[in-house]
Amino acid sequence: MNTQFKAALLTEDTRFYEEIKASSMEEQEVRLNVYRNNVTVSLIEALCDIFPVTEAIVGDEFFHAMARIYLLNNPPSSPIIREYGQNFSDFIRNFEPAQSLPYLPDLAALEHAMLTLTHSEEYDMLDQEAVSDAFTSVEDPSTLSLRVPPTTHILVSPFAIGSLYQAHFSDGHQRLNQVEINKSEYLLLVKSHLYAQLHVINKEEAIFIKNLMQEKTLGNAVPESDSFNLGETLAKLIEWKILTNVTQIHTKQPL
Amino acid sequence: MMSCVPSEQKHPQAEGSPLPSSFASRFLSHSGISLKPAYYQLILSSFPEIGFFEIHAENYLSKGGPARHYLNLIRQHYPITVHGVGLSIGGEHVINQQHLEQVAQLVNEVQPQIFSEHLAWSSHDSTFLNDLLPVAYDEATLRRVCEHIDHIQSHVKRQVLIENPSTYFEFHRSEMSETDFLAEMVKRTGCGLLLDVNNVEVSCFNHGHDPYQYLNNFPVAAVGQIHLAGHTTDSNAVVPLKIDSHDEAVSHDVWALYKHTLSLTGDCPTLIERDGNLPPIGELLAEAHLADSIRQVNQQESRREHAI
Repeated sequence: MNTQFKAALLTEDTRFYEEIKASSMEEQEVRLNVYRNNVTVSLIEALCDIFPVTEAIVGDEFFHAMARIYLLNNPPSSPIIREYGQNFSDFIRNFEPAQSLPYLPDLAALEHAMLTLTHSEEYDMLDQEAVSDAFTSVEDPSTLSLRVPPTTHILVSPFAIGSLYQAHFSDGHQRLNQVEINKSEYLLLVKSHLYAQLHVINKEEAIFIKNLMQEKTLGNAVPESDSFNLGETLAKLIEWKILTNVTQIHTKQPL
Repeated sequence: MMSCVPSEQKHPQAEGSPLPSSFASRFLSHSGISLKPAYYQLILSSFPEIGFFEIHAENYLSKGGPARHYLNLIRQHYPITVHGVGLSIGGEHVINQQHLEQVAQLVNEVQPQIFSEHLAWSSHDSTFLNDLLPVAYDEATLRRVCEHIDHIQSHVKRQVLIENPSTYFEFHRSEMSETDFLAEMVKRTGCGLLLDVNNVEVSCFNHGHDPYQYLNNFPVAAVGQIHLAGHTTDSNAVVPLKIDSHDEAVSHDVWALYKHTLSLTGDCPTLIERDGNLPPIGELLAEAHLADSIRQVNQQESRREHAI
């Protein structure tokens, strides 16, 4: 019976109506509509909570219409509603009315990734003192291994979605329409303490952090590029408080 | 003395670090409110006078992040109740085991005063509909619901309270009243009941039943907690309906029903439930304190009756 009930909630299917006590089909529909409305409105609200920047870009009306079409074809599978919208980005990519905003799918993917990261587990982070202690305790800092949390990831987008995301949450210091959207960006998504952080980084920094994530030593992680500034980059990692460990890698001495 | 806390529990409390006994007595004597992220900071800076906070289990199942962090801080100072909204006890298929394990782990960690769920379904064929959908009151459903409750109680290793639903239609195939269904469920599983007085008002209004008669038929001996919430009215032209919206203050008719409820159940832990259109926390605290004063009057009246 719940197969029909579910179909009635998500489609125009009327097979379930005969289960409903009422004096007319019109009344059956009005009563069922309360549940239809609860399902769609609560899921639209959930998507608004998960994708606030996407909503701000396209406006409430457009977002709600797009969300309604999405949810009827892609209802959630998990009772943990913050996980919803896993494939919303893919849906937007194929959603005809959104084609004029080619950066929108990447932005939605970024928002989902940030929320997922915020809810991931926490790791103990090193403070500035612990990092400098590790550096001063070795003769050759290039043998050090710097670790970031395993939940860290780096994204690259042909659009300035990181700046857009940051502008949205900047309390009005930056405006969404001031972002040069057609500029590609490297993004660092990393969690320190309770919340996911988003940093717009340059290509060399992205390569460097990727190398650290592959457990390369500091000496081997530095990209071959004149524009890379190791001191500045390390200062950022310390300021953002995203290092979980700094240890010396002992390589076997040749006999 | 009459009390709403079930005297016999089929499933004793799980073993674990016992909460301060002051938490238990505070929970029993002072009403609580819903815990919402917007209130975290204020709670931890001003420590308002309140009996307990209730969380929705599904909002606290992350491995990390702010929800679990703030819950862990707040539960050091206040009793907590855990209210599940996603186990789909009325569903036609087996309970989602992975989800149940996560909820059981949360309950085990938090050691709440109460763990409750709903007489409703929300999942079907791996789709979660994010609403509390109604079930037919027939023998087949009763058997299935009881199997699911047994399964949940054996996993969380404690009694679960099941909440009466707010509904917008009745099923042709129902063979018994909602209160008879609930009474039979209690008898077969040893579960307790969470009596949502707003749901009584909403459902009775929507189906043309007398809410006072409904309460008189309610298996009150099994009630371990009461919920009070606000509702709105649907403005369609076909049939007037009340909607269980949780986004308004508790209405006058629900406060009146609450007084009648207490005269039947005896004093009972009470929650002011609010999920949307969140007011400053002070408004919810004031509603909880109003519930406390109604409970005090009820206890005085009940003592006077005993004296006579």
